[in-house]
Amino acid sequence: MTSAVSVRGLWKRFGQQVAVGGIDLELPAGRFIGLVGPNGAGKTTTLSMVTGLLRPDQGSVEVVGHDVWRDPVAVKARIGVLPEGLRLFERLSGRELLGYTGRLRGLPGAEADRRAAQLLDVLDLAGAQHKLVVDYSTGMRKKIGLAAALLHNPEVLFLDEPFEGVDPVSAQTIRGVLERYTASGATVVFSSHVMELVESLCDWVAVMAAGRIRAHGTLAEVRGDQPSLQQAFLHLVGATGRDAGTDLDWLGGGADR
Amino acid sequence: MSGTSGTPVTAVVVRLKLSLLRNGLRQSGGRRAAYVASAVVALVFAALQLIGLIALRGHAHADALVVLLAAVLGLGWAVMPLFFPGGDETLDPTRLVMLPLRPRPLVRALLAASLVGIGPLFTLLMLVGSVIAVAHGAAAYAVSVVAVVLALLLCVALARAVAAANIRLLTSRRGRDLAVLSGLVIAVGAQVVNFGAQRLGSAGLGQLDPAADVLRWVPPAAAVGAVHAVSDEAYGQAAAQLLLCVAALVALVRVWARSLERLMTAPDGSTLHAAVPDGRARDASRGASHGWERLLPAGRTGTVMGRSLRYIWRDPKTKAAWVTSLAIGVIVPVFNAVQGTGSVYFACFAAGMLGIQMYNQFGQDTSAFWMVAMTISGARDAYVELRGRALALLVVTMPYAALVTVLTTALLDTWGRLPEVLGLSFALLGAMLGTGAWTSARFPYSIPQEGHKNVVPGQVGLAWMSIFGGMVAAALLCAPVIVLTVWLHAGPGADAYGWLLLPAGLVYGAALTMLGLRLAAPRTAARLPEILSAVSKG
Repeated sequence: MTSAVSVRGLWKRFGQQVAVGGIDLELPAGRFIGLVGPNGAGKTTTLSMVTGLLRPDQGSVEVVGHDVWRDPVAVKARIGVLPEGLRLFERLSGRELLGYTGRLRGLPGAEADRRAAQLLDVLDLAGAQHKLVVDYSTGMRKKIGLAAALLHNPEVLFLDEPFEGVDPVSAQTIRGVLERYTASGATVVFSSHVMELVESLCDWVAVMAAGRIRAHGTLAEVRGDQPSLQQAFLHLVGATGRDAGTDLDWLGGGADR
Repeated sequence: MSGTSGTPVTAVVVRLKLSLLRNGLRQSGGRRAAYVASAVVALVFAALQLIGLIALRGHAHADALVVLLAAVLGLGWAVMPLFFPGGDETLDPTRLVMLPLRPRPLVRALLAASLVGIGPLFTLLMLVGSVIAVAHGAAAYAVSVVAVVLALLLCVALARAVAAANIRLLTSRRGRDLAVLSGLVIAVGAQVVNFGAQRLGSAGLGQLDPAADVLRWVPPAAAVGAVHAVSDEAYGQAAAQLLLCVAALVALVRVWARSLERLMTAPDGSTLHAAVPDGRARDASRGASHGWERLLPAGRTGTVMGRSLRYIWRDPKTKAAWVTSLAIGVIVPVFNAVQGTGSVYFACFAAGMLGIQMYNQFGQDTSAFWMVAMTISGARDAYVELRGRALALLVVTMPYAALVTVLTTALLDTWGRLPEVLGLSFALLGAMLGTGAWTSARFPYSIPQEGHKNVVPGQVGLAWMSIFGGMVAAALLCAPVIVLTVWLHAGPGADAYGWLLLPAGLVYGAALTMLGLRLAAPRTAARLPEILSAVSKG
């Protein structure tokens, strides 16, 4: 099995806080890969380092066989990124943003515009293409970000929380596009803390908590004998023992007001 | 506080306003200090104005000045809510929408609450000073009391009416964009006022008379005009002016009450869909590109230039910075030239001010810089990126600097010096672009997108280093051209060879820009993650 992404000994500290504490990971190519973990697990930090947006303190990252830091030319042309918490050029309209991104990516102008028009259509943004991105809703922003990440037809797509704050209709649209994309042999790596979503979408999962990888492998391997990924995950991060019910015995109907 | 239970709504709303004022004191240390300091400064300023106005009593043109002052106060109240929509929370009637209130008591209550605060107190002091300056005789003093009350009510009603009429705008993104521009209006306004004051100082208050003759019929200035009219025993005129004010007040309150009613019953602005595109924007951006974009070079250069030029117009922060630079760049040399005090070399100000826009290029992108970073794979990409940005700047800056220089030269009638001043301007511009590119790569910092600040708290030192260090460096880099100018003037050759400074400055400036770009490019390419994290703090 060839690796889409190969991470070795990856570390990142912010002051005293260890955000990522030594990650080794091989992500298989051609899969729909989910990086799951609770908030603060280090998912965003890891994805930022893998995509070259954040310099690691230690360790190396290879994407389809090319070192992210030593061979940026080969890597940047092969990856698409949708980061979380970073802005877009929001004072451009959706259409202009895609045209701009496509041309920066080196596509000829006419080709960039052709692909932009198709993506806007498929992602149901055609009606809002002349609106400034600053006026877009969260779901629309995620979709235009996804379109910008797909324009140059990357081999590996990194999406940080692509479904966060997205309505069900937009989520379904995004899903459709991603499934079509992976079916053609491309790799999607996306992070999420919604287990049901990961379980329904991914065929390969890496579980992260407190800056480390707790488990990785196909969905079936990670799930093991647990009934759901949610259960397996809670078990892995050691959050199964606590039952909140006993402390809040006054809460709810029937009890004394 | 239902309207039927008998609790006077007015008292409740005034108490609410008082608590809001008091809560200003309960903020964290620095904010409280700023709050108290601004209040004290406003009141001290008002008190000084009061004393100054009283001292003006008996001056021949005092009436013109106070009428103008009242008009400016009215204008201030009218535009204030547009620029500081967050300034007064009781200003936003949509916050009261869930309360069972009838419009009429609500209007009365909100008007009364508007009279509480530092702004109204400041206005009251100014108005009292104004009427004291022009009132002569018992009748005039009696009218003064009415005039001050009327003028003050007119001011606050004006602010309320404007705010209520524009609340949709003010709570929308466009409204917030407008607020960012307010600092700019104040900065440019201060320059114009400064210039006006200088002219008045040299030409005398008599200059104001023609303007005052019109404004004394415009409320709220008409109220102050009435006091002066009574002092002159022109009772008919005074009555007409006061009536005009009363009519204006009634009309304003009515307009305000009507828009208030509409606001309280119609859906709130946040749920309205702003999706209706205005036809112009739709047509303009239809198809592949604008007409002007086709004139840009192909490839990354043109793409970068197109985005940069668009942002000058569309991004409020960038627009504010540009308009400030453009305004100050022309005001300093031209106003000085008009007054006959300037030197033709002041024309370099335009180039200097506009060159500043090259500084902190990536900070202007905010965290959207990641989109650029993802497409920079080496020094070559970084060079083209920076060069595109510099070229976009030049598209505006070169003609503008040339225009300001020609204008200044024409005003001072020193045509012989035009080539050398142009040469100096271009050399300075080139030096600013070069140092700007380099500091953009070396000292990037975040620009907060909301509010008036241009630097986030932890990066002030970095910003200083970038801008002032860069400007000093640019000035030093220009030294050879300056020395050449001085040398030519010291000798007999200035008239014969002065024109040589134009090509020399142009070539030298271009060389400095190229050098700056060449040095900045590898730095940018090697430090992309560091730059991204530096510009993402806003």
